[in-house]
Amino acid sequence: MPTLIKSQGGRMVLANDPFTHVDDEEALPPGDVILSLARFQTEGEGLLSDGRSVGVRLTTDEEVEALAYDLPRIAVVALKFPKFLDGRHYSNARILRDRFKFPRELRACGDVLREQAGFMLRCGFDAFEPADGSTPEQWERATRRYRHVYQRGVDARVPAFVERSS
Amino acid sequence: MYRYDGIDKEFVADRAAEFREQVNRRLAGELTEDQFKRIRLMNGLYLQLHAYMLRIAIPYGTLSARKLRKLAYIAKTYDKGYGHFTTRTNLQLHWIKLKDAPEILEHLAEVEMHAMQTSGNVIRNITADPFAGATADELDDPRVWAEAIRQWSTLHPEFTFLPRKFKIAVTAAAKDRAALRVYDIGLALRRGRSGELGFEVMVGGGLGRTPYLGPTIREFLPTRHLLSYLQAILRVYNRYGRRDNIWKARIKVLVASLGAEEFAKQVEAEWEKSEQEPVDLPDTELARIRGWFTPKFATLAPASEAFEQAKAADPEFARWTRHNVHPHKQPGYAIADVSLKTPGQTPGDITSEQMEVVAELGERYSLDDIRVNYQQNLLLPHVRLDDLPAVHAALKAAGLATPNMDLVTDIVACPGLDYCSLANARAIPIAQDIARRFDDAERAELIGELKIRISGCINACGHHHVGHIGILGVDKKGEEFYQVTLGGSGAEDAALGSILGPALPANKVAEAVEQMVDVYLRERTAGERFLDTFRRTGVAPFKEAVYADAH
Amino acid sequence: MKALTGNRLADGEAVFWKDGRWVERFAEAQIFGDEAAALDAEGKAKAQGTVVVDPYLIDLIDSEGLWAPLSFRERVRCLGPTNHPQHGKQAAGGDDVEALRHAHGAARSTGRVNLIKRK
Repeated sequence: MPTLIKSQGGRMVLANDPFTHVDDEEALPPGDVILSLARFQTEGEGLLSDGRSVGVRLTTDEEVEALAYDLPRIAVVALKFPKFLDGRHYSNARILRDRFKFPRELRACGDVLREQAGFMLRCGFDAFEPADGSTPEQWERATRRYRHVYQRGVDARVPAFVERSS
Repeated sequence: MYRYDGIDKEFVADRAAEFREQVNRRLAGELTEDQFKRIRLMNGLYLQLHAYMLRIAIPYGTLSARKLRKLAYIAKTYDKGYGHFTTRTNLQLHWIKLKDAPEILEHLAEVEMHAMQTSGNVIRNITADPFAGATADELDDPRVWAEAIRQWSTLHPEFTFLPRKFKIAVTAAAKDRAALRVYDIGLALRRGRSGELGFEVMVGGGLGRTPYLGPTIREFLPTRHLLSYLQAILRVYNRYGRRDNIWKARIKVLVASLGAEEFAKQVEAEWEKSEQEPVDLPDTELARIRGWFTPKFATLAPASEAFEQAKAADPEFARWTRHNVHPHKQPGYAIADVSLKTPGQTPGDITSEQMEVVAELGERYSLDDIRVNYQQNLLLPHVRLDDLPAVHAALKAAGLATPNMDLVTDIVACPGLDYCSLANARAIPIAQDIARRFDDAERAELIGELKIRISGCINACGHHHVGHIGILGVDKKGEEFYQVTLGGSGAEDAALGSILGPALPANKVAEAVEQMVDVYLRERTAGERFLDTFRRTGVAPFKEAVYADAH
Repeated sequence: MKALTGNRLADGEAVFWKDGRWVERFAEAQIFGDEAAALDAEGKAKAQGTVVVDPYLIDLIDSEGLWAPLSFRERVRCLGPTNHPQHGKQAAGGDDVEALRHAHGAARSTGRVNLIKRK
């Protein structure tokens, strides 16, 4: 099972991952699974009635609005980065949290590097599948590089202009 | 001007510390070049032909003496004793070593400077009217808003991996001294019907391979909604800007393909769906920023005896005041240009010694305020008329007083193939050739306003598309050739240049400029600048003159 | 004929491959007549990730008995900026610098690095 790092109580920790990513062509394993949007739309219903927890994985071409109606039943949203340079999922993450108030796990997978830790956390990601072999300690250090932030994110960090007025 | 508080200081210090760690990891092989390149670019560090190039941010082109002295020190200590001011009002150093970069960033942090986001697919340095705070024709100081945008856009977590670079410019006067129409976002402060301040929002301008003039997508946006509206624009771009082709990735392509109306609709829809309050700055923060932009002028008589006498006594000084001095909103003051265009020199280059001179003059005669404009020149924005003779004398002694602003020898040229890995041809020698041919102050004055812009490649850092005469370096079978365009303008009458004819070899370019100037002088009617004559006659007489030998 | 070049990681200096190490003067560069040897050296150079950035092969042309880079861009890298003859490698002077300055017959080189090319 690949590494899963989770943000819990302000710390980055190594976590057990009950979910298995399943490709469109793959046979479904038992237990909790993360499916592509297309596969969720055809097979999700059935899996949910079986009592499984089901997550949905979006590519950068897919929009998070497509999940709107199904969100209450989705256990995990995984946003897959084809290349770390493709920043579309940062907007998807913010919309998911700010607009749809998605409360459960929002995971970054694909080309995920610890250099993006701070940005990802601030856009609402709380779980990470690093592609660079990095550890929770390294992720934690990366998120603590800056004592201040200038703008509001999804996280609880207070932006500079609020710090100044207090 | 804006001064950092404890938060801002800690921010640049943290940035410098982060970069030091990243450089160490790169040198130790823990980061590959692919991984490190993005990081390095976000700190303004390019790998060029001869060395690394560091691009230091000069937010909205505003410097103090202390900052300029530090730049002089860095240029002398870590580079070859000079720097280059760019068309984006930043400073470039062309001979930097990677291993020195962390120390340089620490030096910059000491004087409230940095190199953040001067490269990479992020929101870049925010530029503004270089006359801000000094000109009578502005509704507000645009730098208040530029500073608000600068902070908001710094390490913005959602907009750090955009499809491509993103540039924003702000003005507050009817005259456009920041080229808004060729920016990703151009913001012009306007007064609304009930007298309140707001922005005309232009989106989708740009130069490069496919130049566009940015359409207005919103006529009036109340100033209090600036940041939430920018968020909406950036989010639409981040989500729908093309990522498949680097030449189609700027927002100008998205706006052009959707059409301005549809693009505006999408922005408005996104804006309405998002909560604005958490994004927009509270009045207290705006007031705090604004408090830094209130220079303390003295109460002076509108006219100055010393100034008038100096003009009468010294024709050279008088000529300098005709071209390099501009009216100020405060009686008894003026705006003085510092020309970095001595004919024969590299346009925009300045030595450490010259930087020290300008710093001294800024401190002593300009309320410690020095500006950079997008024509690669500097300004002293708040000089007393009484002090202009002394300022002129000091600038002249330092080789910074050529009376040529907006004239034929005030040429903008990118570093080109002499320095830049992206270039197809050299730009600097072409500029030097042209300037030497017209190195006659009287003749330059006779010709009048003529803005020549030279780019060494299609990336257009020399702004050739908006030159009255634009010159673009191309590679024709390994030889340097130059495509000439006419009739561009970056001012409020914005226009993109039209091609003159087939590309010319390097040794024919300066001659072609002479031929075109001769056509202008022959054809012009009273009061017409080169640009006006071209707009009246079209390209034909110019083309005929330049390509006459071809018949 | 080809030579192998790159920029030194630590300071960005343009350097040339010579028998497994890197030299600063083009005159000392190893000249490859054999394609296989050139590619072999390029492979070795690419493995030196902490020494040199993005090594690549450049085409050469015979210019009056001396080898010179075929492309004008590479000649600028060998010499330095033409607006400051006292800056860069050209400041050292010498016959090889003069020869590079007078080299003619520039054409497009296949070994040109396009730094903004996306994969």
